[in-house]
Amino acid sequence: MQIFKRKRLLEVLSVLLASCAIASCTPNPTDSNTADSTADSTAESSPAQSGSAEQIVLAIGGESEEGYDPTLGWGRYGAPLFQSTLLKRDENLNIVNDLATDYTVSEDGKTWTVTIREDAIFSDGKPLTAADVAYTFNKAAQSGGLTDVTQLEKATAVDNKTVELTLKKPQSTFVNRLITLGIVPEHAHGKDYARNPVGSGPYKMVQWDEGQQLIVEANPDYYGEAPDIQRLVFLFVEEDGAFAAAKSRQVQVAAVPQSLAVQTIQGMNLRDVISVDNRGLMFPYLPANSKKTPDGDPVGNDVTADLAIRQAANYAIDRQALVDGILEGYGSPAYGPVSGLAWEETKADIEDAQIEKAKEILAEGGWADSDGDGIVEKNGLKAEFTVLYKADDSIRQALALATAEMLKPIGIQANVEGKSWDDIEPLMHSNVVVFGWGSHDQTEMYNLYYSKAAQGDYNNAGYYADPAIDSTLDLAMGAPSEAEAVTYWKAAQWDGKQGMTTKGDAAWAWLVNLNHTYFVDECLDIGKSQIEPHGHGWPITANITEWKWTCK
Amino acid sequence: MTITVNSPQKSPQKLWRIWRQNNRRQQTLGAIVLGTLFLLGIIVSPWFLGESGLSTVLTQRNQPPSLAHLFGTDWLGRDMLRRSLHGLSLSLRVGLLAASVSALIGTGLGLAAGTFGGWVDAVIIWIVDVFFSLPHLVLLILIAFAVGGGTKGVIIAVALTHWTSLARVIRAEVLQTNSSDYVHLSRHLGKSSLWIARHHMVPHIVPQLLVGLILLFPHAILHEAALSFIGIGLSPHLPAIGIILAESMRHLSTGYWWLGVMPGILLLLAVKAFDWLGENLRSLFDPKTSQG
Repeated sequence: MQIFKRKRLLEVLSVLLASCAIASCTPNPTDSNTADSTADSTAESSPAQSGSAEQIVLAIGGESEEGYDPTLGWGRYGAPLFQSTLLKRDENLNIVNDLATDYTVSEDGKTWTVTIREDAIFSDGKPLTAADVAYTFNKAAQSGGLTDVTQLEKATAVDNKTVELTLKKPQSTFVNRLITLGIVPEHAHGKDYARNPVGSGPYKMVQWDEGQQLIVEANPDYYGEAPDIQRLVFLFVEEDGAFAAAKSRQVQVAAVPQSLAVQTIQGMNLRDVISVDNRGLMFPYLPANSKKTPDGDPVGNDVTADLAIRQAANYAIDRQALVDGILEGYGSPAYGPVSGLAWEETKADIEDAQIEKAKEILAEGGWADSDGDGIVEKNGLKAEFTVLYKADDSIRQALALATAEMLKPIGIQANVEGKSWDDIEPLMHSNVVVFGWGSHDQTEMYNLYYSKAAQGDYNNAGYYADPAIDSTLDLAMGAPSEAEAVTYWKAAQWDGKQGMTTKGDAAWAWLVNLNHTYFVDECLDIGKSQIEPHGHGWPITANITEWKWTCK
Repeated sequence: MTITVNSPQKSPQKLWRIWRQNNRRQQTLGAIVLGTLFLLGIIVSPWFLGESGLSTVLTQRNQPPSLAHLFGTDWLGRDMLRRSLHGLSLSLRVGLLAASVSALIGTGLGLAAGTFGGWVDAVIIWIVDVFFSLPHLVLLILIAFAVGGGTKGVIIAVALTHWTSLARVIRAEVLQTNSSDYVHLSRHLGKSSLWIARHHMVPHIVPQLLVGLILLFPHAILHEAALSFIGIGLSPHLPAIGIILAESMRHLSTGYWWLGVMPGILLLLAVKAFDWLGENLRSLFDPKTSQG
């Protein structure tokens, strides 16, 4: 019996081997693709495809589910690619002209007059006029999408190259709308625009296979410096998929998680770009059951409503250890929401990893461990809360776990739970949540801390409310220009006596800023990158026209 | 792992001879004891290990297996041996509960179908067929979601879907016994169906049931692992064997082989131990082999 089986096995094996030899297990050389550049030749169909000035493949995520319509929110974190904007930020985040040739703000700060260049042409051949600009702004204000243009009263085209934007009240951050809102053509802006964007940006869309890839080609009518790379293929794969693709040299730019950035890939360089893409713990500010959101979800948490708890947590956390341990050094400690930007108040920074100081703060606040279980109490209330994180985000998971571990020595019990956003939303006003933010637009900081921004959604989810901070934020918002608002933005963070950061109200425990890590082909020069915002869209393509293929 | 050692002063060669001299029945018993101890050890291990080693130690992340960490450490510096044991213990307990519930349902329905026959049989067989016609994993996911996910969802889903094959086996056994002479005689003597089930059927079914129960375990465990692998219910930082394996997938491309291999081997061993246990129990109970 045994012998018979073995014989059979041998037979089967030899048959397999023979058939393999006949059908050739090695790939047929003619299969390995004919570098033709039809729209169908993707990285998947042609293994080991290498980049060239003709085409590069990018696996940097950023597929926009709602499509590529700026009036609905595309490009709100910068670099709309298909469209161009009135102004833009250069690599040092200074504001420079793009479509605009000049702009003035009226004395009362309510009227913005912008003149635009006359040589801009949409990719369908029609010229871009002031009417298109006015249409875009009115449409964005109307649609109430993710691009926040709610302060706009109306936009009118004065003549072919001048547009007048009237605001309901002065808004110093309005300049960011001019920077992020891509101009759409009035004549070609319909229901399916988000799938087939037409714009005046450096590239135009060729093909979009949702969930798989998006192909764009250089726009020959682009008014700016013509891009060097003719065709870009964006592959939509998971981060470890991007890493694997980079390893097999199928992509020329791959965004990878920081944990993979320590690896090396032959022929590719690691590029880590500083970002203001931050992660932090949001503390509910009000006591439990103090109110309900419009949806009826509970607001408040008795433990985190206590200033001593929030401050002690801020001082106890060792942020550098988080950067080294979780981000493999590709990041920096965050003490506030706007690290590295011109309106950051560095005086708000603290010396962290101070267990003793944290314990003192707790003791002064009336928290003591009376029953000897290692957790402090105050009036019978245990210093215990739940930290929620987005379940499929490994960095947030690691931050939640590591932070909970760091709070243990000072007697605060943090229970960690991973959930989907759908499950977190009803709980996020009464529990600590690991959030990520980071924008070039001060509006975000305003929305995170302004009391009236708390409307039961992600803006000011902790229902933070401090009248003094509110009035400082109002001053910043009402300032006539971004430069003049900076003083107030800084004062809101910490002015020596009060502020929303640790030394003041400590409404959040900001943890880290991520560096965005990319593997970039040695042959590809991607120029100097700006400090990147939170990772939606394609921030790395902000300077795409400067990218050069250096190998022949 | 030395079950047969009764007097430690004996030399290994002598022990081996004694082992060889033992008859097959003793070997079978030994195997059963060994397998049971191994599995019991895994189940109770978390109570001995406690929570230590499960917390994050960022300075010791991604360490390959060593004496201090036999299974290495993961990307947050957690000890993989303790995590694997915690995870497998959870899986085994879920499996135990689910397999017991399944065995109860299976026996009940199988007995009912075989004994009452007629429309009862038809309905039960129809339910079994419905369960068989749906892909098992899809059914698991549906039920786990319907009852609200979490550990509870996983347990209920695994418990409610594994009884079908056992019910069929038992029904067949009952039908066979039903047509035997002494059952016919009992019927003619006016005994009730329930009486016949209790006195004639159950003694035949107990061995089938025991073996069936044991062999259900690996199924239940693997399905629990599958559910937590695709991320239903449990938070992804909890140590469940499926979650550990799913997480190790993320590190495949980086060469941290121990994250997947070591817990995988442990799972394999546990499942194999059940299989072994089942086979040996069968040979002990089965009249054809039990006297060998």
